[in-house]
Amino acid sequence: MYPTRTRIDIDRSTAYSSRLNTVLATALKIPSTLRCHRFGHDDHEHDHDHGGNEDDVLARFREQAADVHERVVHDNDVTCIEFLGATGSGKTMVLERLAERVPAEERVGVVVGDVAGEDDARRLEEHGVETVTVNTGKECHLDASLVDDAIDSFDLEQLDRLYFENVGNMVCPADFPLGAQTRVLVVSVTEGDDVVRKHPLLFQACDATVVNKADLADAVGADLERMRADVTDVAPGMDVFETNARGDDGVDALADFLDGHEHDHETAHAYE
Amino acid sequence: MHEFSVADAVLERALETAADHGTAIIEELTIELGTATHVNPDQLTFCLETIADGTPAADATVTIDPVEPHARCDCGWDGEPPTLDVSGAVAPNLRCPDCGERLELVRGKECRLSSITVPDADSSAGNGDDPMRIDETGD
Repeated sequence: MYPTRTRIDIDRSTAYSSRLNTVLATALKIPSTLRCHRFGHDDHEHDHDHGGNEDDVLARFREQAADVHERVVHDNDVTCIEFLGATGSGKTMVLERLAERVPAEERVGVVVGDVAGEDDARRLEEHGVETVTVNTGKECHLDASLVDDAIDSFDLEQLDRLYFENVGNMVCPADFPLGAQTRVLVVSVTEGDDVVRKHPLLFQACDATVVNKADLADAVGADLERMRADVTDVAPGMDVFETNARGDDGVDALADFLDGHEHDHETAHAYE
Repeated sequence: MHEFSVADAVLERALETAADHGTAIIEELTIELGTATHVNPDQLTFCLETIADGTPAADATVTIDPVEPHARCDCGWDGEPPTLDVSGAVAPNLRCPDCGERLELVRGKECRLSSITVPDADSSAGNGDDPMRIDETGD
């Protein structure tokens, strides 16, 4: 047993790195008896300054995403959109329909996240896009470091658009943005019209919702109006697009939105 | 199931900090965990205790302080948003109570190592009951 204890408080301040270095440099010159080491504790919570969140693990993941964003969108002027949602919601088919609308002279890349297999990549390649598959194996979602490695395979300077297709998952991606300008959540009516209410944090982390398989709403007893109202309740202001990706219905409006949204991306929630 | 990677990052930071202070044992890890995240506090505790095995934090007590969401609005509203009125109620209501626009969270999405507790480095070395306190000086 130890008679006394030291509690080391970890700084939350914005300029943590430089302050830590200063404090430690001072501390290292002081011999022994460092019993209470308390850093400053100011209150700049909404911090985007890199290096300011060393102790907030989730903020570090967000910073990794911001680095991907900087590399793709700003350094290489590539339009970057993430698609996420449950397995079978229609992410890949929505992407196929969007790929068909891309002007012939543009180059498109897709980072395809799946636990296993390259089925989605094969489908997308038939539409003339370049793909990199990330098989996450035992992980249930993509994260920014996986994406950062994956995009090494693209010639970003030559690319016009880059899509991230996340692993089918309605939970974890809420805490793990990837750095896209826009996060598009694809749900389908076959998941039940209560799917929005069941996953509020994920909707709040995204910028637009696609309600796919809308043509099947009556067949499965899904109330599209309820789904729209739930999105508005959970994520006020979020745009909703009803699609039937297989029949190519409703995709034009989504494509137009995404083309417009890229010009407004600094206000998006995509990597915050 | 990303608690494992979160725990790994938390532990790494704790061990770095302990090493910086020349201590071989961490007795307690305290983590501030936002409730507007999908990180499960019980799983995070379990993962931390598991991966700490064989490290200076092997016997550390893990304390998780939940952090409720705090939001701000462009209209000037600032406060803790009410919980969203849906089944399960795990998310904040992000509609501004004043103007109806969307709120932005400023707290509630963090998973932050807030402190580690370590044995006194050398309780006989002269500073007595007056623990040395080093406040950040800024620059």
